Amino acid sequence: METKNVLVIGGGIAGMTTAFELAEAGLNVHLVEKSGFLGGHAIQYTCKATAECLQCGACSVEKMLKNVIESGNITIHLSTEVETIERSGGYALTLKKSAAYIDPAKCTNCGVCYEKYKGTGIIAQGYSKNNFPLYAICPEKLNNDAAALKSVCPEGAISISDAPSFCQISVDAVIIASGFAPFDARRKGTYGYSRFPNVVNGLDLERIKRQYGYLARPSDGQPAKKIAFIQCVGSRDEQLGNLWCSQVCCPYALRTAASVKHKNPDLDLTVFYMDIQNTGKSFPVFYETCKDNIRFIRSIPVDIFPIENDCLNIRLFDESEGTPAMESFDLVVLSTGIMPNPDNQKLSEQMAASLDTDGFFKHADGLDRTATAAEGVFIAGTAQGPKTIAASMVQAGQAASGVLKYLGVTK
Amino acid sequence: MTTKQQNQVEKIHLETTVAVIGGGYTGMAAAKTLAQNGYPVILARQENDGAWHDTSLTGLDGLKTLENQVADNGPIDILSQSTLIEAVGVPGDFTLTFMSEDRRVEKKAGAVVVATDLSSSPLTFIYGLTPCASVVSLSELESLLASETGQKEIGDKKKTIAFLVGFAHEGNPLLMQRVLESVRKIVEMDGCTAYVYVNNLKVAEDGLERLYKQGRDNGAIYFKLQTAPTVIQNNGDLRITFYDPVIRNNIELSPDIVVVEESLVADQQNISLAEILRIDLGPAGFLQKENVHRLPVNTNREGIFVVGGGREIQGLSKSLADVDNMLLQVRQLIGGGEKTVAAKAVVDREKCTICLTCYRCCPHAAIYWDDKAVISPAACQGCGICASECPMDAIQLTDFTDTEMTSRIREAAAAETKAAAPKIIAFCCQNSAFEAGTAAGLFHYDLPAGLQIIKIPCAGKVDINYILNALVEGADGVIVMACHTGNCKSESGNTYAKWRINDAYRKLEQIGIPKNRLEFATLASNMASDFARIVIDMEKRISQK
Ligand SMILES: Cc1cc2nc3c(=O)[nH]c(=O)nc-3n(C[C@H](O)[C@H](O)[C@H](O)COP(=O)(O)OP(=O)(O)OC[C@H]3O[C@@H](n4cnc5c(N)ncnc54)[C@H](O)[C@@H]3O)c2cc1C
Ligand code: SF4
Ligand code: SF4
Ligand code: SF4
Repeated sequence: METKNVLVIGGGIAGMTTAFELAEAGLNVHLVEKSGFLGGHAIQYTCKATAECLQCGACSVEKMLKNVIESGNITIHLSTEVETIERSGGYALTLKKSAAYIDPAKCTNCGVCYEKYKGTGIIAQGYSKNNFPLYAICPEKLNNDAAALKSVCPEGAISISDAPSFCQISVDAVIIASGFAPFDARRKGTYGYSRFPNVVNGLDLERIKRQYGYLARPSDGQPAKKIAFIQCVGSRDEQLGNLWCSQVCCPYALRTAASVKHKNPDLDLTVFYMDIQNTGKSFPVFYETCKDNIRFIRSIPVDIFPIENDCLNIRLFDESEGTPAMESFDLVVLSTGIMPNPDNQKLSEQMAASLDTDGFFKHADGLDRTATAAEGVFIAGTAQGPKTIAASMVQAGQAASGVLKYLGVTK
Repeated sequence: MTTKQQNQVEKIHLETTVAVIGGGYTGMAAAKTLAQNGYPVILARQENDGAWHDTSLTGLDGLKTLENQVADNGPIDILSQSTLIEAVGVPGDFTLTFMSEDRRVEKKAGAVVVATDLSSSPLTFIYGLTPCASVVSLSELESLLASETGQKEIGDKKKTIAFLVGFAHEGNPLLMQRVLESVRKIVEMDGCTAYVYVNNLKVAEDGLERLYKQGRDNGAIYFKLQTAPTVIQNNGDLRITFYDPVIRNNIELSPDIVVVEESLVADQQNISLAEILRIDLGPAGFLQKENVHRLPVNTNREGIFVVGGGREIQGLSKSLADVDNMLLQVRQLIGGGEKTVAAKAVVDREKCTICLTCYRCCPHAAIYWDDKAVISPAACQGCGICASECPMDAIQLTDFTDTEMTSRIREAAAAETKAAAPKIIAFCCQNSAFEAGTAAGLFHYDLPAGLQIIKIPCAGKVDINYILNALVEGADGVIVMACHTGNCKSESGNTYAKWRINDAYRKLEQIGIPKNRLEFATLASNMASDFARIVIDMEKRISQK
């Protein structure tokens, strides 16, 4: 039988896992990733181990990235998007590659471009050693200095043209794994995100931990001592119309809290919440140890305002006391959740796969959440709805299985 | 590849039959899928398999329909009333013994799929309540709501129904979904009211938050409490009370029916299955540890898979996703029954005295014996724990032979460095610290000038000799870097490493080498900055002397 070709849209954990499973099954995979790096959101997460691994899954993303780059059957298209798609037995596609990119055939990962443009945001550095090239151009930051940027690379690997380039491929099936968009915390105006330096979101939290190894205050880089986590920011929010639980913010907040507390038992940690969601099989035991080390207050704060020394006052209604309360913290973490990727709209039209009322991809079959109503088009990961890394991997495996069945490789 | 390794590539035959243990919905779906794909199936069932399963998507008849399909399926050999009592062999060649209807039955299988169900029981007693017409379990309410007479009974009498959820145990989205569905049905009946007393609402599943809101929009009332309310049952009369801090008063309710939550737990059988199949038992009696190095359906043993409620509390759609994943893994392992494999570890038959140390320590159960120990190339993960534990030095890894390791250590100790810089040799597990260490270099973190990284397949491969050799050959410091507890791909490699380090400390003491020249640390692959910090700290410490 001639080798079948499959397109995977999105190189996060879901897309990488599907691509790898299909490659292992002997198919040719085109993995199309819009950004300059594979790995999606989860490649930037830090390890949350205490004296033992807490199964956050972050390191499994590293591993899958390694699998993907070492696999011989996957063609990786970075800084690329699907421009057009046409049904023709299978699918005929035009891929659009960004006008500005770093050529992997020439780049030696020397880092000269990154050093030179540090602070400008024009050159981004990947999070994993398995990101190759380790650097990427951020087209939206690029101004008129294209020529200067090009000449900075001693290997001539920086390619900037006036227009994007296009290439044609044809495939037999498509998997949409375009992931999620993190909630924009500025939309919860009363929390002052982006106005107060020491109010951070979930992704900032990961970046801070990666950079400092502890929870530092962005205002001065000093270790925070008294830290608040506010849960459900953007999720389970009727006012915003976001009627879903993001499923990952309780787990990441609790694991991060447990891990920083383990490293520094003097930290004073408080979690403001509505309901705590489970983290995995060992949750009942884990939750008990959390309760011993972390203060849990069942209330979602009303607002936050700054006080001296860039500290923050949180105002809330304490339900267990039945009274309004106020307390100050050094650092406030907003546990922001999973929102539909704004690209879903366009992808949905291109692929003729519909979205649900929330803007995630709709599955056509309750028993199989990877199936869409469009023939030969499958979904995996957070493109379909909020889920953890592990759950994204299971769904990705199922999507790969669905593709094999659709293509007649399995029954 | 060296010629030596090429010689160890062999073609093996694998039995294509797959044994499925557990005949509930997931087990039958697994059997059906495997059979459709040309794998003959042995389906070991027990009387009450499928007694509890998630019916939210298939309705009550789903199980029956599937049962008929499986019964009519030629390649599925159903062993009814069967319990697994013994399992020997390796992937591609397992021999399983069942007690089936009081007979001993022996079967050959290439792979084993464990598909035990969840089991459920009422938790009425934890609330101190006695089951009766007005104190019912969630399942009983569900059957009432599913029957016409039940609906009439509740609807016509405009009943007030109270639910108790999340106080007897933590709860989970699967139970929550059933509560929310029942609440929705009740409040849609004219004149009926639902009150839910709940601890944490477990809504981390598609659609549950919306379902929760729907119920509230239709009048359902939720009281979120940290501890259970007081429930007094006086014959048929019920009274529920709790203190509300906001209004500073007791809130009291006399419902017509109290619905009590149920448990949803792992099958008791898992414990003995884990022992017989030599797979790890995870938290709360579920099979396999939550080791992120493995795909979710894989276990510590190649060729043994766990799907559905056997590994986690999960509903039908997720259990079926497991089945699809399992098919991918079975295809990769067995394919069409023939496979070329390269040996990762080999036993020197001259040296082996069949002491069976290796058999006992292999975390992947890859070792069996004829008149000497034999390593199954299909099962071995190449961790090297056996090689380091073998008292006769009879086992060598093909990619990390002792000879190669010794010369690697010598080279590292002899490497040129800046005059004053102490020489540090770091033995790094390829799954974690080696990745972190390479990343630390690539990201230009400050690293000791005299650092030499030696890649090892697993920290469990660090022989005490490696450590002593490194120090003797001239290293100023040695550090062994393993995965975090619970994150070792071979489960116990980090534990073995730790033991050996402690042995080494004792030896160092005897020869008078200061203890601070040897260190043990754990890392994950994504911890480049921590890697840098740990080795720099060590450099500082030995420089101070
Ligand atoms: C703050 C935070 C912390 C978290 N912590 C944890 C945790 O500790 N453990 C855990 O299990 N989960 C955690 N999660 C959840 C985790 O991030 C997701 O489960 C995971 O990232 C989902 O992977 P994905 O592949 O579906 O999506 P993504 O990670 O979003 O990947 C999607 C990829 O597709 C690309 N893409 C998007 N649109 C297009 C397009 N049009 N064309 C081509 N490519 C496109 C994107 O660039 C991206 O690379 C966390 C989530 C958040 C928000
Ligand atoms: S805590 Fe997370 S990153 Fe760290 S070892 Fe465990 S799964 Fe990996
Ligand atoms: S996981 Fe926790 S914080 Fe996130 S939306 Fe759900 S309940 Fe809120
Ligand atoms: S190398 Fe590891 S997996 Fe292989 S036989 Fe030895 S102990 Fe078992």
